[in-house]
Amino acid sequence: MPRDSLIASDNDADITLEFEGGEEGGHKERRHREKRRDGSKDRRKRGNGRRRQGSRSVERENEEERVGEREKERKRRVKKDQEAKKRDKEEGDRAQTRSEKTAKAKKNIKNEKRRRSEKGEAGERTEKGKKKVQSAKKEKSVNHGTKDKTHEEKKKKRKKVLETSSEQETSEEDSEDKEDSEDEEVKPESLSPEELEKLKEAVDDKKKLIQSLRGKPWPMKKKLVTLRESQEFLEKYEGALGKGKGRKLYAYKKWMKFQRDFENFKTACIPWEMKIKEIESHFGSSVASYFIFLRWMYGINMILFGLTFGLVMVPEALMGRPYGSIPRKTVPRAEEASAMDFAVLWDFGGYAQYSVLFYGFYSNQRAIGWLKFRMPLSYFLVGVGTVAYSYMVVIRTMARNANESGVGDDNSFNFSWKMFTSWDYLIGNPETADNKFASITTSFKEAILEEQESRKDDNIHLTRFLRVLANFLVLCCLAGSGYLIYFVVRRSQKFALDGLENHTWWERNEVNMVMSLLGMFCPMLFDVISTLENYHPRVALQWQLGRIFALFLGNLYTFIIALMDEINVKRDEEKIVKFNITMWEASLYNGTVSENFTVPPITIHPADVPRGPCWETMVGQEFVRLIISDTMTTYITLLIGDFLRAVLVRFLNHCWCWDLEAGFPSYSEFDVSGNVLGLIFNQGMIWMGAFYAPCLPALNVLRLHVSMYLQCWAVMCCNVPQERVFKASGSNNFYMAMLLVILFLSTLPAIYTIVTIPPSFDCGPFSGKNRMFDVIHETLESDFPAWFSKVFSYASNPGLVLPFILLMV
Amino acid sequence: MVSGAIALAFLPLLLTLIIRYRYYFVLFYRAVLVRIWKDCITGLSREERAYQYVLTHSTPGDPDSILDSFDYWCSKVEYISNIGPKKGKILDRMLMEQSPLTVLELGAHCGYSTIRIARALPLGGRLYSIEMDQTNAAIAEKIIRLAGFDDDTVELIVNPSDEVIPRLRSDYNLERVDFVFMDHWKKCYLPDLQMLEECGLLGKGSVILADNVLFPGAPKFLRYIRKSGLYEWKIHRATLEYSKGIRDGMAELVFQGIK
Repeated sequence: MPRDSLIASDNDADITLEFEGGEEGGHKERRHREKRRDGSKDRRKRGNGRRRQGSRSVERENEEERVGEREKERKRRVKKDQEAKKRDKEEGDRAQTRSEKTAKAKKNIKNEKRRRSEKGEAGERTEKGKKKVQSAKKEKSVNHGTKDKTHEEKKKKRKKVLETSSEQETSEEDSEDKEDSEDEEVKPESLSPEELEKLKEAVDDKKKLIQSLRGKPWPMKKKLVTLRESQEFLEKYEGALGKGKGRKLYAYKKWMKFQRDFENFKTACIPWEMKIKEIESHFGSSVASYFIFLRWMYGINMILFGLTFGLVMVPEALMGRPYGSIPRKTVPRAEEASAMDFAVLWDFGGYAQYSVLFYGFYSNQRAIGWLKFRMPLSYFLVGVGTVAYSYMVVIRTMARNANESGVGDDNSFNFSWKMFTSWDYLIGNPETADNKFASITTSFKEAILEEQESRKDDNIHLTRFLRVLANFLVLCCLAGSGYLIYFVVRRSQKFALDGLENHTWWERNEVNMVMSLLGMFCPMLFDVISTLENYHPRVALQWQLGRIFALFLGNLYTFIIALMDEINVKRDEEKIVKFNITMWEASLYNGTVSENFTVPPITIHPADVPRGPCWETMVGQEFVRLIISDTMTTYITLLIGDFLRAVLVRFLNHCWCWDLEAGFPSYSEFDVSGNVLGLIFNQGMIWMGAFYAPCLPALNVLRLHVSMYLQCWAVMCCNVPQERVFKASGSNNFYMAMLLVILFLSTLPAIYTIVTIPPSFDCGPFSGKNRMFDVIHETLESDFPAWFSKVFSYASNPGLVLPFILLMV
Repeated sequence: MVSGAIALAFLPLLLTLIIRYRYYFVLFYRAVLVRIWKDCITGLSREERAYQYVLTHSTPGDPDSILDSFDYWCSKVEYISNIGPKKGKILDRMLMEQSPLTVLELGAHCGYSTIRIARALPLGGRLYSIEMDQTNAAIAEKIIRLAGFDDDTVELIVNPSDEVIPRLRSDYNLERVDFVFMDHWKKCYLPDLQMLEECGLLGKGSVILADNVLFPGAPKFLRYIRKSGLYEWKIHRATLEYSKGIRDGMAELVFQGIK
């Protein structure tokens, strides 16, 4: 083919030129080296030069001996090069013409050009392939550098830019190149200088092609194919230009690669990341923020669970006294018959009550097992530690988020905000994008209308009136729900006095049921009421959150007040029992004494020993039941409200007289605010009850785990994207703030009970003590040397502590 | 069994449902209950009552006044699912933009939309209006004549649409329909559209406007136009006629032909 031959001759000419250029380039390079010996940046260039010289000398020595065997190899290589070149040329005539044109110029500036081209290629490669996020800026500058490559006047300046900008990358790329050279089967020393130069030339051409690829008027596909081929070629032959910077760079490169892989691995290890990303793409970031929050909560609970499980439950189960050894670890005789019934176990009575799951099971031995594990101390410290850890984590996360989330004011530049920031770039689902599009257009229309109206006649009074009305309605609703719970709690106390066995299951679980139902339905009502107010969705969400917060808080505190009443009742009962027990013991003692002097005191089975009511276990049980019923309600709502509805809508749609999907029942939307608050309050209950029921964190971990999967599935299968999709990047700290408030509010009652109420006399790790925190005092006195407790007592002197705290604050 | 307190806890749910779907309850009341009640009292059909009202409250020969009195009757007195003033504006605008010469209307009902279309037709334009029901068609005929449109402008065909469409070409010498307005049975949207395609009455650029695609809704129709690829389509979102809170939409389809 004439064309081929022409190209071949072209190549030859190029190569000869390049050969000379190479020599001169070598000189120049040496000069350069001397000029900037101190600069550590051009380490690579120096390496190049050294390599080339070394290889050349070696070649000269070996040349005569190896002519025969080299001949074949050389031919093959040249052919390969030329073939590659041909491909290259066919693909881009422009590149060829340019290379011809610039051949002369190349002679002079070859080295610089190569340096530049290599760097450019490095930039290009990193940008195309690796997507290194951190070096995005650097790449940009590299790109700018490579774009106007052909202008030789600018080269100095550009070189500077390149050197300053992409030092790290080049070194990395460089090492990659070195590695390639080592992988190569054809050793560079087996080539003659001309071949070497030819190869260099080919490699240079490839590099140039890669650089100029961006500006070529080709279809993208062709560009990609060319790029890939050229890169393959480069990877294969670039090493022939020189060899052996060596092991160090190779290792460095491997290390970098390992680090990259490790980063990927770390991302892959984040649990549920892919699920959340998928949801995010379908439903926008506000729904995803809930799931991220759920995941975060799961992590926290794992740690709480680890603490309670590892330091309290397991030691007690393994090393404490076994079941049945003392009264508090035995099911009483009266309950024994039904202790294994499912109904009883489901209510956490029977065997569940007398197990490590609850406070009452723990004995007050100071040290248990061969490890001399200080059980009561550990129990107390774990209780304090979980709360302290939670505070720390929440506050730290808030502090970290505070830097990131900067939501500007939405009010002042309404249209600009709408124009430039309304799109959610994380949406990947066409339907959601459709919705988002529609919502943006409608919001634009609404905003324009609003603006017009606000200019025309001031309708602010109506809006104000509506907002006040909405708040009034919400307040009514809150008061109503509060009263209902109060009423129910009072009634349940009445039931409890009557004896629970006389009442139905509904009546026994009335409090939990009513609380769950109100917690479920009232937010819906708030949502409906909030449409009156006509706020921006983000503002509306915050109002909604605030209202639900108030509702839940009211419910929770009503519940706690009821519990307090019950604790007082139990404590009265305890006094009577205590008195009875002394009487009973006395009678027992008297009986034995009167009968026989020599016989040792008769042993009584622990199940028969009368015992106090143990209010701590009762509190723990209440919380566990609350959590269980809450979880059940959540899941049942999910199944009925979302799944069943979706199924009905989906399959009845064919034989219904209107469009069920678009019209009346429709599919449900994911309720972010309700779910977030449910999660937060659930956590609050955990914090509150964990001291009295060490099993609560475990239960919560289970619940969160299940709800993660269940809700992910439910969202993807039965919910539709919100009609007003909006970004929720700013609300994360809002959630955190609420969590902090809840944490505070839930630790208050726990601390109150710990500090003010003396523990039960016959159950739990602190039995027999006046207050629970006496355990610290006891430990200080008996386990530490005397001077330590002295120092501690001085240090805990309020006169010393208060100034210290003030100073800290 | 279930105590009163638990029943009370369902009150918010009930309230929510009532508030959220109030427009539907109102619609149910106006469109069904009031209609049955008036039917029993007057012994006339709803359309006849509407005709009587329009006859007594509007200027003959003035389409605008007829439309106005229709709107008033439908929003204040009773309810008939005409296209309504808001969506009617969209219809008017599209007709102005297209200025079609041959318009096919499926489902004339009482002639409200017929008058609206005829009003906006360009000179020499012709409207073929198809109505299935005999009595409705009689009323529609009277109303159209009342508005002053003669046989040259409006041709009322009393027959089910699935019988008329295949015969349009032979009986009425129609080569191509420029504009189709669908407002008859929602279940017939899809078969009629397909029939129009089969008969070759749609040319490139023919516009089809289908009312009430969201409520009561024509899901199969929407699914079909999404999938078929023959149309460029979009949905004009609006509310149901004479009702504020119920969302509805009109589907605008532009026939593109097979690419």
